[in-house]
Amino acid sequence: MKKWSEVALGVVTSIGGFLEVGSIATSTQGGAEFGYRLAWVLLLGILSLAFLMEMTGRLAAVSKRTYADLLRERFGYRFFLLPLVAVFVVSFLVLASEIGGVSIALQMATGISFSWWAIPVALLGWALLWRGTFGIVEKGTALLGLVAIVFAVGALKLHPAWPAVGHGLLPSAPSENRARYWYLAVSILGASISPYLYLFYSAGAIEDEWTIEHLGVNRVTAGLGNLFGGVLAVAALIAAALVLAPRGIRVDRYEQIAMVLASPLGRAGFVLFLATLCITCFGSTLEIVLAIAYMLAQGFGWAWSENLKPGKDARFAMSYTVVILLAAVPIAIGMNPLALTNVSMVATAASLPVTVIPLLVLMNDGDILLNHTNGWPSNIALVIIALLSVVLLLAALPLQLLGGG
Amino acid sequence: MGAVHLAHDVLDAQLVDRAQEKIGRVDALLLEIEAGRPPRVATIVIGGAARAERVGRWFVAIRRAWRAMFGQREEHVSRIPFDKVRRIGDTIELDVEERSLDSEHLERWLKEHVVCRIPGAGGERK
Repeated sequence: MKKWSEVALGVVTSIGGFLEVGSIATSTQGGAEFGYRLAWVLLLGILSLAFLMEMTGRLAAVSKRTYADLLRERFGYRFFLLPLVAVFVVSFLVLASEIGGVSIALQMATGISFSWWAIPVALLGWALLWRGTFGIVEKGTALLGLVAIVFAVGALKLHPAWPAVGHGLLPSAPSENRARYWYLAVSILGASISPYLYLFYSAGAIEDEWTIEHLGVNRVTAGLGNLFGGVLAVAALIAAALVLAPRGIRVDRYEQIAMVLASPLGRAGFVLFLATLCITCFGSTLEIVLAIAYMLAQGFGWAWSENLKPGKDARFAMSYTVVILLAAVPIAIGMNPLALTNVSMVATAASLPVTVIPLLVLMNDGDILLNHTNGWPSNIALVIIALLSVVLLLAALPLQLLGGG
Repeated sequence: MGAVHLAHDVLDAQLVDRAQEKIGRVDALLLEIEAGRPPRVATIVIGGAARAERVGRWFVAIRRAWRAMFGQREEHVSRIPFDKVRRIGDTIELDVEERSLDSEHLERWLKEHVVCRIPGAGGERK
């Protein structure tokens, strides 16, 4: 019985975790500019993330150690600095974007400018981390995040032509606007496959005291959770394709994304869009700031746990305190949240090799995983994701310059 | 466990004290070479200075400049004799106390001057 409730919670957590500022922005941009044609990229992102989460979850459940811990120990301090710095920088950018997402939602709800909201949002997030436990952070925001299902309702109400959607799930490239198309493809992948997601997930497995018994829960959570979360991102893309594309609207402000739900669902759609943006971005804010603090603490060997009082793990607690407050600064000084989001997603995509490629070594190490090392299907998937990550690294900067505008 | 691979199993491993509190990682591992005696693994080093040396000379220089800018003079490094090792496994247990380690200086300082002045920081578990 307890198992099933864990499975259900895990799935719900992943749904809330998948949809956040990056996927909302990039999916709707993709739909608005290219109809259903970028849906296959979302599918690729969902599958890649599901594999990476299953692996880092299995790694933690079997070895009782987090991914960051093993990165430092098995690859040494010198190499470890590379993923540490890369993850820190891109996660910081994404964190600022999530705070921007919450702030924009609050601006649309109250009329008070988003830049005023950044610091209060960061302080509220900090207070929850300071006083709350891992369970509260993980489950509380995830349950509230179910409001994101409104994207599925909106998409269904717009009666998409399903054969055309199906066609979009197969890879294709347009004959014009190629740079923009591939730029959005890279952004969508960056929004789907974020290192903070699997670093947080593997630390969460330790916080929740997973053992080999949890391998089933892990597989279902990583697979089904991301599938459901991904379906909502596809729904956002479909809704944008049906609402924004015909009107020739290119998303460059969050207000335009609200139309995606306000058009099929009226005032309720608008309100639920604000709730979704606010809650999912706030949930991700907490996850990202914890992921950064986890990586620092585990990499340097400090005491860490969100279930300990801050007095018992001072460096860990001060890490999330400083990071969440600093990340509020770009939004507080008025940086455009959507522009920041787009840059963050491309940077995330470029950062992937340093956290994906080491998994090839760790997941095949019998000292760590005993008889739960990768089978050939997982290894093939991981090699493909690793190659994809290298392509993303090489393509990110040129595409940002050619297609970012 | 018979043979222990120093680079694989000891260097960079998580260290814990007698009470299983995390006290950093093995940032450097020193051999002692004395005339007339065979070299032996003598010291575990914990601390930023030891880590910086492993990255490279340029990194040490940057770190030095950075610290000079903020007027930090003291290096809080712990050098622990290898015979304090009690157990080598997923973590390495040392027969020391967290409180006595110079490398835990920042943890203590933050606890005393910052964290414990903010409400809700005390106690064991939340």
